[in-house]
Parts: sequence; structure tokens; C-alpha cells
Amino acid sequence: MFDIVFKNLLARKTRTFLCILTVLAGVFLVGITIMMNTWMYTVMTNELGRYMGKVYVQQSGSGYPPIDSSLPETVADDLLSQPNLGINVVESTPLLFLRVERGMMPFLQAKVMVIGVPVGSETVLLDDTEAVTGVNHFDTEAGSDKAILGEDLAQTLAASLGGVIQINNHSLKVIGILEKSAMATVNISAVVPLDTAQHIFARDGQISALLLTPKDVLQTDQMAAVIQGLYPSLEVSTQADMLQEAQKVMRTPLMYMSTMGITGVIVAVIMIMSTMLMAVTERTREIGTLRALGARRGKIVGMVVLESIFLALFGLPLAIGFVYAMSMVTQATSPSLELIMLISLFAVVAAIIGGLYPAWRAARVDPLEALRYE
Amino acid sequence: MNGVAVEAVRGIDLKVDSSEFVAIVGPSGSGKSSLLHMLGAMDRPTSGEVLFDGCSLAKMSDGQRTDLRARRIGFVFQTFNLLPTLNAYENVEIAMRLAGTGRPERKARTDELLERFGLSQRAKHQPRYLSGGERQRVAIARALANRPQLLLADEPTGNLDSKSGMDILVLLRNICTENGQTVVLVTHDFRAASFADRVLVLRDGRIRGEASIKGAKDTHKTLSQLLELELQ
Repeated sequence: MFDIVFKNLLARKTRTFLCILTVLAGVFLVGITIMMNTWMYTVMTNELGRYMGKVYVQQSGSGYPPIDSSLPETVADDLLSQPNLGINVVESTPLLFLRVERGMMPFLQAKVMVIGVPVGSETVLLDDTEAVTGVNHFDTEAGSDKAILGEDLAQTLAASLGGVIQINNHSLKVIGILEKSAMATVNISAVVPLDTAQHIFARDGQISALLLTPKDVLQTDQMAAVIQGLYPSLEVSTQADMLQEAQKVMRTPLMYMSTMGITGVIVAVIMIMSTMLMAVTERTREIGTLRALGARRGKIVGMVVLESIFLALFGLPLAIGFVYAMSMVTQATSPSLELIMLISLFAVVAAIIGGLYPAWRAARVDPLEALRYE
Repeated sequence: MNGVAVEAVRGIDLKVDSSEFVAIVGPSGSGKSSLLHMLGAMDRPTSGEVLFDGCSLAKMSDGQRTDLRARRIGFVFQTFNLLPTLNAYENVEIAMRLAGTGRPERKARTDELLERFGLSQRAKHQPRYLSGGERQRVAIARALANRPQLLLADEPTGNLDSKSGMDILVLLRNICTENGQTVVLVTHDFRAASFADRVLVLRDGRIRGEASIKGAKDTHKTLSQLLELELQ
């Protein structure tokens, strides 16, 4: 009965079109909610995964990345010079995070960043992120106007190896472009020598945070507790602490987005139900005729539900297209096949729920009453 | 109706033989359509029973009665009741689709019926582009699609001009004569009833008179006598 259902939808083009638009909007909201929630969660876990077995010291309440944190560099000197704290000095480094351009996401808060790291400590920040062109470290020249670009930043600036970029009216020569890192902050950053970053942004003698590696990874929590005791005004965090804090930050936007998505589904269900109820009422005589001709109640139910599903499915390709477009705009990851299947399932379930009551009404149509219907 | 019991028909004792053409005549509100609906398994009597080929319709489930209508009973309505989104071909075919007939057989049967009723050139037209007579012929073709044993026609000429109405009545007569199908026609028009083998007069829900026209020496006189019964 696919052809009959299709013709019924075409018979009321405007109403069908409006219903499809509403379903499209609802499915789009669901898709974008799931995609953004998944993306933010992935970014968060990838970013913070880097800090397993590390301790992060920054100004209290400054969030992550600690763009708003400001510590005197002497704190780093002091901590790294203490032999009894169990700090692996070689694998620890001060860092300076600076925002060049704001971002949309509540977790990252930046679209373009600069990370200042002391010459020789690049691998502490970058871990095993290699350069696809050039190098992933500075040579021994401190204060040099050189930059190593994250993959996303290189694309944003259309920068190439040996080229020059402008940061805060300051020219920097690109000596390396990194591969895609698990850390989103690295991908959107220009990594420069610490003193260069301090000079460009007039933050001489200041850092944002200290990234500390314990000599014994099993002593991470203890080391964090000792340092917190020594510097009660600072925020000393392990990976677990940072994850907890990040989840708190993301809770509200995730809740708003989830509410948006749920609202989208409800609106789609109501629109389908409303459209199909109108259709069933208008076609009471037709339904009665079909019953008189020998259509069982189950067949009538099937036709109405199928019509509802068609309404949802017609809007689905466009909704998926809009989700793709949104992922491009926000530079989130493209929707996966699993996500597409999930939002398709949402659309079908919304259609079935929206169509059930009208289908029940249609199945109850008495052929006799319908044939008398004017 | 509105909480008040209305007896549409009462005390009906009717037997329709196979291949018989019976006309049920009566004024508006006489109960003839109610009787037809009971014969067509669309309504159930409050008391008594309706037997189709010896099987009681009251003992059938809704699904069984629906299947009966699909396969063994054909309906022709005064208002045609064609599906507006389907063309003439599809309207005839739908009856077979509901009965579960396979595609090749559906096509052959639909083509045959459209040809027989002079509708081949109009097959792709939707009902709104067909004349009243053409619509009723599509409806009759649909009713015959599954080769039903019983064809029930409720005022099939009610919305047609006299010429188209006459054509339809001739068709119904030929269906009975040539195909051996049983036809029950409900009408308020005695001229239409004259095409039948037997005429029943219904008034106030009861059979007031009955006469066999087939083989009658003076059909006109027989019908006149029945008309008097209706008017009494």
C-alpha cells in the first residue's frame, strides 16, 4: 500500500510540506544535540586523558584551559627546586595559555590560542604528537620568534612551513606543523617559546599553570595533596579532579542542549499526530469505503502509521544534511554512521508514536457510519 | 439514535437464491438500506440471523466478516465511493489488492473489466475527471473485481441522469444473466426495480409485498400493484 500512502500525502501538498518541515526541525535538533554532546564529551575526555598520572597547578577558579590563570614564574622555580616533593623535573614544565580568538564551545572557550612552553620542554606538552612537516621542538634558541602550529590552526591561517604568521602584531616563523593531536588545545594553538609568548602578550614573569609529573605515578594523589598543602591558594588537580570540574562546567550547556533536543522530538510527534488526525477525519468516508471493500482494521492501522513514517523519513535527509553543515560551522567532528542511524531511529519512533492515536481512530471507523458521513 | 431505539427493519424473512436478481423498493426510511447492510455483513441484526451460504454472519468475527466482504460480496453505492487519489484503474484494482490477489492476475482482471465497461480510455483518470456514469461503471467494475457471489447495489442510479442510470441497470441485469451472480438492488424507483426477477416492497421496516416479475405475464400490472402497496 506504499503507493496509496504516497498519493495520500501528495493530495495535501501544503500540509504534508509543513509537517515535513516541522519533523525536519525536530530531527535536526535531536541530531545536533546528540552530535554536540558526543563531540564535547569526546573532546573533554581526549584532552584530559593527556593528564593521566599528572598534576596540574593553576590559579584557583580559572577553569580549563587556564587562560584566565596568572601565576608568578617563581612558583614554578620554587616547586621544581624542591627535592622532597617527588617531582620528575625533566618531565614537568610551566605553561602559558593565551587566547587569541574566542570560541563557541563552553569547554574550550577559544578558537585560536598560543601556548608558551620553555625551550626543551616541548615534548612534556606535546607528548607523542609528531610534526607532519618541519619539527615539533625548538632548538636551543630561547626568545626566538618561531612557532609550531597545531593542525587546525595551520588550516585556519592557511600557513605553511617556513611561512610567517602574525600573532598580536608580532611576526612568527612557522618551523613545524603538527599532526592531529588528541588534545584539542594543541590543535588550535601556536606553540611558541615561553619567553616569546610572555613578550608578545606583555606577561613577563608570568605563567598560567604548571604541569607536573611525579617520579612515581602511583604517588600522584599524594603529591597533589602535599603541593595543595604548601600552596593552599592555588588549585592543584589530578586528572580525576579535572574531569570532575569539566563535567560540572559542561553540565548546564549539555542540559540546555538536551532540553532542546527533547523539545524537538515532542514538537515533531505532536505535528505528526495533528496532521494525521486531520487526515483521518477528512478521509473518514474513504476509510469506511476501504473497510466495506474488505480492508481489515490492521491494514488501516498500517496505512496510517506508514503515512506517519513517510512524513518523518521525507524530512530526514535534509535534517542529516543540516547536521553535517552545523558540524562544519562548529568544526565539530562529522556525524558518524552511528549518529545518522540513531537520529533516523528517533525520526521513525517519533513518527510511530505520532501516528498511533490517529491510526487507532482510523481503525475504529465503522464502515456504515463512514458511508453516511457527509 | 440520541438514546432512542429505532427499529429500522422488523420481522424480515427473506431468502435470496443464487443467480437471482432481487429489487427491494421502498420510500426513504423504509429500512431498505439497513437491510442491505445486514446482507452485506456490515451490520448485525438485533435479533434473528443472516445466513450467507448457510453460514451465520453473527458467528463470524469482525475479521471474518471483513474477509467475506473482500472476497464474496461486492458493493455499489449511490455516491460511488471511489477513492479520489486513485485513478480508475487503481480504484478497480484496490478491491483485488485487499483480497490478496497477485499482481499479474490483478492486471489481467482490471484490464478485462475496464474493457468490458468501456473505460479503457479512461483508466488513468481520477474520479474527479469522470462523468457520473463513468464513475458508477468504475464502481461496478470494482465490485465485480473479485468475482463475488453476491452484488449489493444501494441506489446505484440515485446520482445519475436517466440515460446513465438506464445504462447501469442494464449492466446489472447482464451481470446477473451472463455471469450468474446474485444481485440485490435497493431503490426507490419502480422503473429500476423492473429489471429484477423479484421485487420486494419495504415500508416501515416490514415487507409489505413481494412479486416475481420474471416470467410474469403482465409486468406492468404486477409493478402497479406493488406500487399501490408502497403507497398505502
